[in-house]
Amino acid sequence: MIEKLKFFLNVTGNNLWQFRTRNIFSVTIICLSFLTVGIFLSLSNNLRATARDLASNMSIAFYLDGGLPADAVEALRRELETPAFVDGVSLVTPEEALERFRANFPDLADIVAGLKGNPFPPALELRVNAKASASREVIAFVEGIKARPGVTDVLFNQDWVEKMHGFSRLAGAIGAFLGGILILTSFFIISNVVKLNVFARKNEIEILRLVGATNLFIRLPFWLEGITLGLLGSLLSLGLLFVVIRLFPAYLGASLGALQEMLRFRYPDLTQALALLAGGAATGFIGSATSVSKFLKV
Amino acid sequence: MIELHHIWKQYQKPYWALSDVTLQIEDGGFYFITGPSGSGKSTLLRTIFREILPTEGQILVNGVNILKIPDSGIYTLRRTMGIVFQDFRLMFHKTVFENVAVPLQVVGVSHRDIRRRVFGTLQKVNLHQKMWELPAHLSYGEQQRVAIARAVVNNPEIILADEPTGNLDPELAFEIVTLFKEINKQGATVIIGSHDRELIRHFGDNILFLQKGKIVGKEAH
Repeated sequence: MIEKLKFFLNVTGNNLWQFRTRNIFSVTIICLSFLTVGIFLSLSNNLRATARDLASNMSIAFYLDGGLPADAVEALRRELETPAFVDGVSLVTPEEALERFRANFPDLADIVAGLKGNPFPPALELRVNAKASASREVIAFVEGIKARPGVTDVLFNQDWVEKMHGFSRLAGAIGAFLGGILILTSFFIISNVVKLNVFARKNEIEILRLVGATNLFIRLPFWLEGITLGLLGSLLSLGLLFVVIRLFPAYLGASLGALQEMLRFRYPDLTQALALLAGGAATGFIGSATSVSKFLKV
Repeated sequence: MIELHHIWKQYQKPYWALSDVTLQIEDGGFYFITGPSGSGKSTLLRTIFREILPTEGQILVNGVNILKIPDSGIYTLRRTMGIVFQDFRLMFHKTVFENVAVPLQVVGVSHRDIRRRVFGTLQKVNLHQKMWELPAHLSYGEQQRVAIARAVVNNPEIILADEPTGNLDPELAFEIVTLFKEINKQGATVIIGSHDRELIRHFGDNILFLQKGKIVGKEAH
């Protein structure tokens, strides 16, 4: 078995070397295609992570009428604690709100000092768990509470979370679209390269048929060639992706200003890296198998 | 034994490349199929190793109707045969050793056995000293001997040779057929398609005469 495997790998290696120029071209195209997919995947990773950060810090503040009786506030607090997506609820008194304002905006201390009384209303602050942060259930719940008597306003940074999720989906979609086109191109290139290799080895294939080679014996080296080309291309693209991720902040990062955070690349995780490699191998195999079954009548 | 029953082959209407050919090839025999160009010698040989299918008829090899073997199983028939062509059909980017090793590689013989058997076969055709050369560096006669070595390395029961001396001068042609004769003495059935009368007169044990696709005569010595 090992001897057979060695034999086929040896044949594949020799064949790849024999037509190295067209094979290098093919690997380059595959590499660029998967690099494009990788870059958008990395961007999408970053946007998704940013959305997750935002969501995990998200709280919803319900501002209350200052005249609302304490038992009504307490009843509302208990009600807010009921849903499963709520991690906790706390009451922020006008005094605490004023203290926070002083602490957060020390430059505005003079204005606060000049005020007669406390302008801040009491509020119930609700922490939502990250998974449910922008879900329809939360939005419906917030809308329901907002309509209650005694609730004057709501502060809910759901829009940002949704925007980040939207950007992440957009980056993923652009990556999938561009990558899809390029991977399709790779597929056709591999298919044509293998077709050329089949034609170049027509005589050899004919001889193999005449000496009693099975279809598998004839096809296997071509399949292995396709898989090797795909794997080499995607492996090279992963290497280049790591270089891009390392060099991007050094060369372009600072000049992007506020966009820097959104356009920051994140390394693909192990599953994504393995998926890229498997994608390369699959593209190579399908491209080669299509070509072999179409142009190699054995 | 190879039996052909009422074999007809038409490539293009209205011409018949083979017309109602019926014959028996005995095991261990040495046969020449002869006739003028276009008489159907190559077509007849190619139907026996099923490179082409006859339009009508039946071919039995050791009792098996080879026309009923599915395409995916044709390799089993080919492994019992060694085939030699006028144009040698060698792989010119591979060495003599690699060319001769191919039939053993396809049946999964171990690397050690391949080395032993290829070397032994190349010794028989007196090419063992050139086994690491590329075929392009050999003479025509040597190239044909490589093709013969490839055909016999697997000890096939049947050797089919289509004009194996067509590109060679008379002396080399004589040498090549002598080689076939030696292989035949070791038990293989040898069928050679040739129009070289001198060779046929000298070596022909069994001669089948073809004309316009028909067997028009048989001679056995």
